[in-house]
Amino acid sequence: MTSLTWGHSRRRRHVATWIKYGFLVSSSLVMIAPLLFALYTSLESPPDYLHWVAPTALTLSNYRYVIDNAPIARWYFNTAFITVGVMVGAVVVNTMAGYALARLRFPGRTVSFLVVLGVLMVPLQAILIPLYLLVAQLGWLNSYQSLIVPFMANPFLIFLMRQSFVGLPRDIEDSAAIDGAGRFRTFLRIAVPLTMSGIATQAVLAGTWTWNSFMVPVTFTTNPSYFVLTVGLNTLQSQFYTLQTVQMAGVVLLTVPVIAMFLFFQRLIVPSFATAGIKG
Amino acid sequence: MKLESLDHEVRTARGRPRPVHRRARRVAHLLRLTREWLAAYSLVGPALALLGFWFIYPIIDSVVLSFQSVDEFHFGQRSFIGLHNFNQLLHDPAFSHSLGITLFFVVLVVPAQTLLAIVIASVMQSVGLGRSAFRTAFFVPYMTSTVAVTTVFMKLFVAGGPLANFAAYFHVPDTTWYASVQLALPFLVIVYVYMYIGLYVVVFSSGLEQIPTSLYEAAEVDGAGPLQRFRYVTVPSLRPFVTFVVVAGLIQAVQIFDQAYVVAGGQILGSPAGATSTLVIFIYQQAFRLNDLGYGSAAGVVLLVIVFLGTVVTRRLLPDRS
Repeated sequence: MTSLTWGHSRRRRHVATWIKYGFLVSSSLVMIAPLLFALYTSLESPPDYLHWVAPTALTLSNYRYVIDNAPIARWYFNTAFITVGVMVGAVVVNTMAGYALARLRFPGRTVSFLVVLGVLMVPLQAILIPLYLLVAQLGWLNSYQSLIVPFMANPFLIFLMRQSFVGLPRDIEDSAAIDGAGRFRTFLRIAVPLTMSGIATQAVLAGTWTWNSFMVPVTFTTNPSYFVLTVGLNTLQSQFYTLQTVQMAGVVLLTVPVIAMFLFFQRLIVPSFATAGIKG
Repeated sequence: MKLESLDHEVRTARGRPRPVHRRARRVAHLLRLTREWLAAYSLVGPALALLGFWFIYPIIDSVVLSFQSVDEFHFGQRSFIGLHNFNQLLHDPAFSHSLGITLFFVVLVVPAQTLLAIVIASVMQSVGLGRSAFRTAFFVPYMTSTVAVTTVFMKLFVAGGPLANFAAYFHVPDTTWYASVQLALPFLVIVYVYMYIGLYVVVFSSGLEQIPTSLYEAAEVDGAGPLQRFRYVTVPSLRPFVTFVVVAGLIQAVQIFDQAYVVAGGQILGSPAGATSTLVIFIYQQAFRLNDLGYGSAAGVVLLVIVFLGTVVTRRLLPDRS
């Protein structure tokens, strides 16, 4: 009797596991399907759009077409240049600020930190107009610097770096100070190497945000020579209105670097976005 | 009185330090302090200068602008017009329409993404194998550009497209969703939830990892089934995370822009017929299409206030979260 009920509940558990996996697999497929659709379609010749074709009928002609008919190489370069610019700038500026706020005592420290926290939640959407005026008055419309300089210092990243420096044990830095190392040396030689994971997180966050950003570049650039991929891809939609397969090639070109980076640094990225969830 | 005398005693007991020494020590101390301050300011200075110029000044300026009219051709020519912009907002049907659209969007998005994320995260937590593979699948769309995702979904939901076709089985007309007045906003909801769900799955997963398994075991001993365990153990333990996801999701969803911009294509923003005219689209339209920067800023201040209130509520609700 007891063994019967045991077996029964075990079977029920078995069924439950199957249901769970069924649910997870099918919903994962739903999540991946649109991206696979884009990839598959981008490899089809235009007349085959929305039809299954033999693998041998797949072609790279859409990629050739989009590269020949749109300045996509230029947009790639622009996007990469701006992304690297923001990443480097962000890492330098925010790491330094985070360290000062975490470790050094100076008049105005509390105020500075409150300022950082205060602007943490301010959405870019709400200050886009004055930002545009500022950029316009500097004569920076259609330029690289307008897409780099304003986005180097980031309140969220400063906060993130401060937290990672606060988490470091103080003794190591103190003993370095006793050995006669100045503040800068302690910062560069001791503190920075110990927060490499925080710095990498910051670089990844800044890089992803910049690579995918759309609202700011679409507002600050009107000259196709200064377009980034997101803005350029959006114009492709109307330019190649009837060539869906070509548009999908554009989507793949835009998406692949970020997804590749994500798959590579997944362990680092996922938790950092979980904490950055507020900011998105 | 007593303290003072004590202090005096201590000082005399220690003996009077030679003045030269004392001064030298003071100088050394000041020197060290100055050096520390200098280091601190040169470390924090660049960030503060950039934040001041590119964040704080624009915040202040957006409030100033909301009381001004800006010359279309000479941005430097700004004149104060009092509350005129806000007064105009109050009587602008397009503005109230955009608030309505945004509210509708938020009301659809927030419960949908919260519920789906919590269910997915708990199922994911309860299986042993393949958890990280599933997490990757859910998270990839969030890493993808909004422009790319929206472009792809526009192909799926075009008349005759795979998903518009599929939806026809559920008696939704097989039409181009983003060009339909009724379906354009649901289309935005689908694209948005698709992108953000992975983020909130990850947030809930980290919450679920903090629930001790002993709680589940105890519930099981008491005879609770899987649904009861979910209702009486998972949900209450996740409460702070739910609050967080709801409020953060709300603040995020209010700011929707990219998807609506892409959907409009070359048409007037908010197309079709204002069906996707969210609050930020309204701001953008006023400022950058109709060149009324002051009026757009007034609407921007409304957004600022909404987000600020949302943040205050979050802080209130989650006092222990740093």
